Parts: sequence; structure tokens; C-alpha cells
Amino acid sequence: MTMGFNESQSAFAAALLDPGLPLPQGITTARGVTDPLRFAVYRNNVYVGLTTALGQRFPVTKRLVGSEFFAGMARTYAADHKPATPLIIHYGDDFPDFIAAFPPAASLAYLPDVARIEVAWTRAYHAADRLPLDVAKIAAVPPERIAEMSLVPHPSAGLVRSDFPAGTIWSAHQGEAVAPVTEWRAEAVLVVRPAMHVEIRFLPPGDAAFAACLLEGTTLGTAAQKAFAAAPDFDFGSALIGLVGLGAFSAFEAFEGKLP
Amino acid sequence: MNRSTLTLALAGSLASAIASASFAAPLAPEKMAGNEKCYGIALKGQNDCAAGPGTTCAGTSTMDYQGNAWKAVPAGTCTSMNVDGHKGMLEPVKS
Amino acid sequence: MTVSANRATALPQRAGLGLKPEHYETILVTRPDVGFFEVHAENYMGAGGPPHRYLEAVADLYPLSLHGVGLSIGASRDLDKEHLKRLRVLIDRYRPQSFSEHLAWSTHDTGFLNDLLPLPYTAETLARVIDHVDETQQWLGRQMLLENPSTYLLFSESTIDEVDFLAAIANRTGCGLLLDVNNVMVSAVNHRLDPIAYIDRFPVELVGEIHLAGYDETVDYVGDRLLIDAHGSAVRTDVVELYRHTLSRSGPLPTLIEWDNDVPDFATLNAEAVRADAVLTAAAVARGATRAA
Repeated sequence: MTMGFNESQSAFAAALLDPGLPLPQGITTARGVTDPLRFAVYRNNVYVGLTTALGQRFPVTKRLVGSEFFAGMARTYAADHKPATPLIIHYGDDFPDFIAAFPPAASLAYLPDVARIEVAWTRAYHAADRLPLDVAKIAAVPPERIAEMSLVPHPSAGLVRSDFPAGTIWSAHQGEAVAPVTEWRAEAVLVVRPAMHVEIRFLPPGDAAFAACLLEGTTLGTAAQKAFAAAPDFDFGSALIGLVGLGAFSAFEAFEGKLP
Repeated sequence: MNRSTLTLALAGSLASAIASASFAAPLAPEKMAGNEKCYGIALKGQNDCAAGPGTTCAGTSTMDYQGNAWKAVPAGTCTSMNVDGHKGMLEPVKS
Repeated sequence: MTVSANRATALPQRAGLGLKPEHYETILVTRPDVGFFEVHAENYMGAGGPPHRYLEAVADLYPLSLHGVGLSIGASRDLDKEHLKRLRVLIDRYRPQSFSEHLAWSTHDTGFLNDLLPLPYTAETLARVIDHVDETQQWLGRQMLLENPSTYLLFSESTIDEVDFLAAIANRTGCGLLLDVNNVMVSAVNHRLDPIAYIDRFPVELVGEIHLAGYDETVDYVGDRLLIDAHGSAVRTDVVELYRHTLSRSGPLPTLIEWDNDVPDFATLNAEAVRADAVLTAAAVARGATRAA
């Protein structure tokens, strides 16, 4: 009795992913034997392909923990997280969350945030191309309408707020030699690609709270209040002009019209 | 801060940012390109070649880690990162 | 009908290279004399950014072959309509001279498995693959090429020879074939078959493109040679000889060098294209001599 096509493909896929399962029925060789090593080639291809893809997307995370630890961590992730689509360029979007809950990496509290910067960087790299909002348009808004205005985030814009120096650690690993990290502090990093180059900038605490609100689509008034609460010395005008000048937004929304 | 006070404060802050020396001619794109460097602190960027995973139709003869046989040995740069007493060591995995 | 009318490609009868991000700048600055470039479709399915910018620039200068690695044409499950749409968008944008995919599967209920997996060759699987190739060509509005796989195991339920299986798909759907000569060598050695006999039975008049690559070598459970389709080295000598034999039957065909792992510098990669071009030229000369005689 042979199984139907769909049934046998299901059995093949299951055995591929779970080394604990017996080899699928019906696989053979020219000698007519069932060869576990030949089946293992496919199993290896799946896992080595996925873990290699993660290593390419998370090079700093990999350097931080070393190749062997990374391979084991990526292998554990890949066992339960297959790409939802054939677009491997997006594989690992939730790898940072996995790392945060991965007990063997628990002592590296900053590691998930470094991985989040790597996610933001690659997302920005592949994001839709769009002209950033021109600062002149902000300058032309009637002053009394500024607080009610909200901005459309640029498709490439991402913000990583960390309790650790995740940006400094990431940056320290961009060269051959790893630069020393001298100050242990919280950091916020804005990632954006206004044209063809991905820009990464530290933001001061008030500006980070401000940017976080704006990227979620709140009005400038609401975002400013959050920023003042986070940092009393927050400078609204400089932060807005700075973020717009960096290309973090692509347009502003029409006024909500709810206010007097 | 009530709504009208906020509106006034924001409008004033924006006006002075636009009027300030560094933004004296903010409407010229080439000036803005220069000005934006003043905002935030730029971090050294990633090499575009390492821009994410590739898709391939090739196989591999590399052997995969066999599930729970993996034991972690911290060997990365985290082991040398020790700032203000914040250690970067990893726990070895018990299998 | 002439032989060339069947060929689903407008690529030149030259050697082409896989386009790698490491080489973008070198190619655009030095404009090497390469017949065409090929990309994996899925690597250009991001919304925007430098990959598209570079591909546009390269496609302005060279013929382009779009090679899909994720459609899963050999799956028992239905084709992913979203993926067909993505392919259509790419084809409409870049107007490649060739589009090709694999006789293999990579997606099942478990998600995308990121490998080209083998299928048994039976009447049931043949009908399924024919439906999928028909559907793909309808969605894309063009003829495609289907590539012979490299395989590491066989299925006891298979009743149809691989060459017959591919020929039947091409005859029923009107698709062309992509003949990967390295895959022929890999599968022939792995299944104790004669690679030359495989080529001699292959319907070369339906072939629109050839692939060449380097294999790795290991042994299986009983100690037999097991070749791995690794794409991480220069083309092996025996594959170059098999290629020469193939061209003696088919005449010159667009020929891609695949080197996807441990990608070398551009000069090393281009040397492979130069070598293949020499074989192509020799084949064209031999064919001309035969015709003149």
C-alpha cells in the first residue's frame, strides 16, 4: 500500500523536522536500502540554511555569543519558527523576543536589544523607498495647528529603546576589532533609511519618548507632553526639526479637526 | 499644561528652532542635509553586503547540530565585555 | 517547428553569472563582458532599498534571468497565490529574459522549509506538477523553464523515469526546461546511473538554459560516493566534460555559473564564465563545421 502524495509529503516533512521520528516510509537508494545519512542531508539543509540565514541577519549578536552558542540558539529557534513565507530576507523578525526568553542567554540582558537593532537595520534596508517629509512643510504649518498634527512614519523608520548601551555595543562591533564600551547606560537608537543608506542615531531621552509616540501615530501635542514628562529639558522645536531632517517621517496627516 | 499653553509653548519652540542660527536657512535642501548631522549622534553603519540573509538553491554538506546534543561554551566578544561590574558571561547550558 | 521556437528564453548563448551583493559595485564600475546575470527572485521581494536599486542598474546593462527558489511547484499542496503575485510584480518590473523554477517542493503545512526537497515520480505527482506549471504560466503570463533537481535519495513508489517525467511536463504545459548539468552529475552518481545516458535521453530541444556549479563529496551509510549540490566551489572537471558532451547534442545554450556559498571575488567567479564561454565557442564552431559538411 502506498500513501497518497499529500500524506507522504506530510510524513517526509515531519521526519525532516523531528530527528526523533523514524525515517519516512518509501525512501530508498539504488541499492534498495533505507539510508539515514542520505535523509540527514535534507535535514541538514533545512537547519543549516535557516541558521545561516539568521547568522547573516544578526552578525553582531553572533559575534557577541560566539559561533557555537549562536548556532545552538538559532537551531533551537528554527525548530519552532519556520519562515511563514519564502522570503528569507524577513526571517527572524521575532528572534530578539526569542532570545529574551531563552534561558541560556539570560545573563546577557542587553542581547535582545542588540538583536532588535539588527532587525530594525535590515527592515530599514529592505523597506519601501519614499521621499522623506520636507522640513519646509513643517515650517509652513500655522503655529496654532502644530499640536493637533500627526506625522506618517517613514516606511524604514524604527526605534529601539534599551535599558542597556545596546547602540554602543552594536556600533563597537562594526569593525574588525571590537571597540571598548566604557559607559553603562540606557540608550535609544533611531534607525531610518531616507535614501539608500541606513542611518543609525542615538536620541536623548526626551527625544526618544517623543519619537516613540510619533512613530505610533500620536499627535505632536501628545508626544510633546510625554517627552516633557520624560525629560523636563526637552526641546520640542529642535527634536521635531531634527527627526524630520533625519527622514523619520514621510508626510503629515490632515488635522484631526476635533480641537477648537 | 492645558491645551492652549501647550500650543503656545510648542509653536514658540518650533519657531525658535527654525529661526536659530543652525536653521537660519532651513528651507534649502542642501543645508538640511548638513544640518541633520547635528541631530542625534551617528553610529558607525553596517556594511551593505551583510544586509540580510540570502535565498539559495544550493545544498550543504555542513552537519547540523543534533538537537539536544548541543552544549553552549561562551566564546564570543561578550566574555570580554565588563563595564562598571556588568559582566558579559553566558551560563553554560545544561543538557 | 524550429528548435529555437520552443525555447522559453531570450538569453544570449553565452555564459552568465549569479548576481551577488558583494559584486554590485565591481560590476557597475568595471562593466565586465558577461553574457547575462541571474538572481534568485525571493532575494528581491523586499519592498525597496539598495537591492532593487542595484538590480535596476544591472538589468539596464545586461540581460536578466529570474530564478525562483520558493514557489514549491512539486508540493502536494496548492501553490501560494501570494507568492505568484510577488513573482508577477517582479517580472512586470524587471522584464527578465528568462524565468525558471525547480522540480522540487519547499513548503508544506509546516511553513517554508528553505530547501529543494524531492518528490516521487508517479502518475499522481505528474498530474499535480502539470497543474502547478500550468497555473504558474497563467499567473505570470509567460512561459517558464523547469529545472531538473539534484537528489540524495529515491522513492520506492516512483514509476516514471526523471527524464520522462520532465519531458511529459514540458509537452503537456508548453514550458521549457532548465538543464542543470551539475545536478545531473550529482543525481547520477548518487543513484549509480550513467550521467551521459541521462543527457543523451534528455530533450535538449526544450532546454532554454543550462546551470553549472561545483559539488561537494562525501559518502553515504554504506560507503558509496554521495555528491552534494553545494554551489561553493569552481565547477568540477567531470561536470565541465559532461557540459561539453551536452553542448555537442544541443548546440550552444545560455549557461549560468552558480556559486552561492563561500562566494569568491569577482575575478575568480568571472574566470568560471570565461571557461564556460570557451566551451560554448568550441561547440558553436563544431556545430558550424558539422552544418557546413
